[in-house]
Amino acid sequence: MKKLLKALSPFAPDDSGACSVLYELGGIVVICDAGGCAGNVCGFDEPRWHEKRSALFSAGLRDMDAILGRDERLVKKLAKVCTQVPEAAFTAVIGTPVPAVIATDFHALERMAEKQTGLPCIALNTDGTKYYDKGAEKAYCALFRRFAREKLPVKPGKVGILGATPLDTGFTHARDIVRAMNCTEAVCFGLDSSLDEIRRVTECEKLYVIAPSGLKAAQELHEHFGIPYETGFPCLPPEVVAQAKEIRGSKTLIIHQQIAANALREQMEDRNADCATWFLFSPDLAREQDFRITGEDMLLETIRDRGYEVIIADNAFRRLLRGWEGTFIPFAHHAVSAELRTDTCAP
Amino acid sequence: MNKAFYCTAAELAGRGLTDLPEELVSNKHLIYSSPATLDFNSPGAKGFGVKRAGLCIPGAVMLLVAPGCCGRNTALLNELGYNDKFFYLLLDDTDIVTGRYLKKIPQACQELREPLDYEPSAIMICCTCVDALLGTDMERVCRSSAEASGVPCVPAYMYALTREKRLPPMGLVRRSIYSLLEKQERVRSECNLLGYFTALEDGCELYELLYQAGIKTVREIGRCTDFAEYKAMSRANFSIVLNAEARAAAQDMHERLGIPFIELTRLYRLDKIRNQYRLLGQAIGAKFDDSLWYDSAARAIAEFRESFGDVHFAVGECMNADSFELALALTEYGFHVSEIYGTIGERNFVYLKKLAARSPETRIYSNLSPTMLGYERDCRIDVCIGSDAAYYHRDLPGIPFSEEEQPFGYRGVELIFRRLAQAIREHSEVKV
Repeated sequence: MKKLLKALSPFAPDDSGACSVLYELGGIVVICDAGGCAGNVCGFDEPRWHEKRSALFSAGLRDMDAILGRDERLVKKLAKVCTQVPEAAFTAVIGTPVPAVIATDFHALERMAEKQTGLPCIALNTDGTKYYDKGAEKAYCALFRRFAREKLPVKPGKVGILGATPLDTGFTHARDIVRAMNCTEAVCFGLDSSLDEIRRVTECEKLYVIAPSGLKAAQELHEHFGIPYETGFPCLPPEVVAQAKEIRGSKTLIIHQQIAANALREQMEDRNADCATWFLFSPDLAREQDFRITGEDMLLETIRDRGYEVIIADNAFRRLLRGWEGTFIPFAHHAVSAELRTDTCAP
Repeated sequence: MNKAFYCTAAELAGRGLTDLPEELVSNKHLIYSSPATLDFNSPGAKGFGVKRAGLCIPGAVMLLVAPGCCGRNTALLNELGYNDKFFYLLLDDTDIVTGRYLKKIPQACQELREPLDYEPSAIMICCTCVDALLGTDMERVCRSSAEASGVPCVPAYMYALTREKRLPPMGLVRRSIYSLLEKQERVRSECNLLGYFTALEDGCELYELLYQAGIKTVREIGRCTDFAEYKAMSRANFSIVLNAEARAAAQDMHERLGIPFIELTRLYRLDKIRNQYRLLGQAIGAKFDDSLWYDSAARAIAEFRESFGDVHFAVGECMNADSFELALALTEYGFHVSEIYGTIGERNFVYLKKLAARSPETRIYSNLSPTMLGYERDCRIDVCIGSDAAYYHRDLPGIPFSEEEQPFGYRGVELIFRRLAQAIREHSEVKV
């Protein structure tokens, strides 16, 4: 069955991805849920919850709120929090399955919130059924559309990094990501940076997209402001790179987010590996044999049919691969196993 | 950031239960999912939420039918050895709109048996807010799934939307886990303890007191090692409900299996514990001699007071006690309670009123209030009880008191004071 998981646990959902982008930007973020989705974000997908404070709340919806569509109650509660967190620069409402079932009008919610609070509001119609990168993509696009309005003089050497969420990199600090990059000034949007950096994105000489979640926003910024962008993953784990470089002539499969998988393939001596992902898959970034995984059974069938001898993937996949006889190289992906990185990036 | 909101016990007692400030009523503000209280919004993350609780039936597995986000943190339970027991049927937006996934559940129940090298005793089908809103008839889904898979299927309702209803998800799941019991002849010398998903702490006097009363077998779900033992719970002459959330389960067992029940409350005031046991004795026709355990608990309190004197406590709610009852007990034993992080409800307002008379200046905070983002200590606190209190005061000695083995009765009192003494001693050694 395509959507039955027998060995894996679900991956980080779109609402987690959206929160991950907004987490450090100094806004009031409300997850429009009954409590459990916010708990998943704070207790599992957001490693910064225990080290960096953020005004991230649950709407605490109850059945009658959902049945009667009491959006005005949510907005009233949001307005109250704005008086308690007066330094907030914006508000955001993040969708979950509950508003998806009752077809909440997020645009209306945005307008109501802005009217009541006087702060700009971003409402994202995530629904918990998609993966984290879709939610992060929505958040990046909404932020730049809303706040990056002005074309500023370009600062030579300044690089803006998109896709630098802990879910994609396993790091909670920008320094761990930019360490290996050779640039005079680098800003990871949403990681150790404020909303002001979003406003000043046009100062960047170049955008560097390190996860597919940042591609759409980079394309839009390129179209509107002419900022060039390129893709790459500057924070490959040295241990994984070293092991991948040792592979010679074996049929290899790399499973990760597409840009990280591609970057690892580029590090291999013969660059002969296929890349697969459960997440956003851009044909423009793919080779012919690369593919998008649609389920456990499909992945196992493809591995069997193509006869992969080496698989480089998150440790969580080991369980799925029981019975497969080959070499497994662990390559952590926080959105899969919630494993954080403690190593230093390869230059 | 504004300062964290609180009211004193005296102020709250004066206002009454119907006039609590909005900041202390969780459905009147946004919920701060503080790291201190993650188990409120993320019950899967620690302790027992619906998912883990549903797997209390020995040999059962669980199929979670939900969007991916609802099962995300279940991976945490893998560390506790549950990874072979969870299966997921993920819903997409078309499933939600059309309801087509309901027809796939029986097939999923069939397929999930393939990787198992044993026959599960039951498949718990866990459904979420989506089904709460769609009004899914889970009983019917379970019947067709049982037919298809050949294994009994039981619904586990993870309806966070109904958390404050008369029968909340944690009450419903307790009813579900006893629903596979079948009527059989009752045995006079057997009884059940209902309420917790794990067993009482081994040293709890309740076992001995029941043996004194002629009970030879005491069964708890947390001690059932196999399905046969679980099934034997329906032989009990009576059940003792130790947590009010198990009341619906006990009522159901009474109606279906004819097993009556008695309710006890977890208390930390020695005289009230003694009184409760006296009433239990009357109900089952026994006279308990509890002096041994009473004296032992009283000694633990006296030794603590002698060693540490006038201690000022911060009392949380993420622990095995009612915050307000425990705070009242501490003040009755001659200690101070500076702050409580708790949720006031009908059940514990009576303790708050008594606390207000003894300690009117005790500050009451709500862990869930957004203002807790700005919490900073500005009064004397020496020791913390509860994992939430310990989070706010990481520099102070404290005990989580949220272990899985459940404290109860005199033994609970003794454990809390012995553990507090140990924590204070260890903390001062570290400081040295």
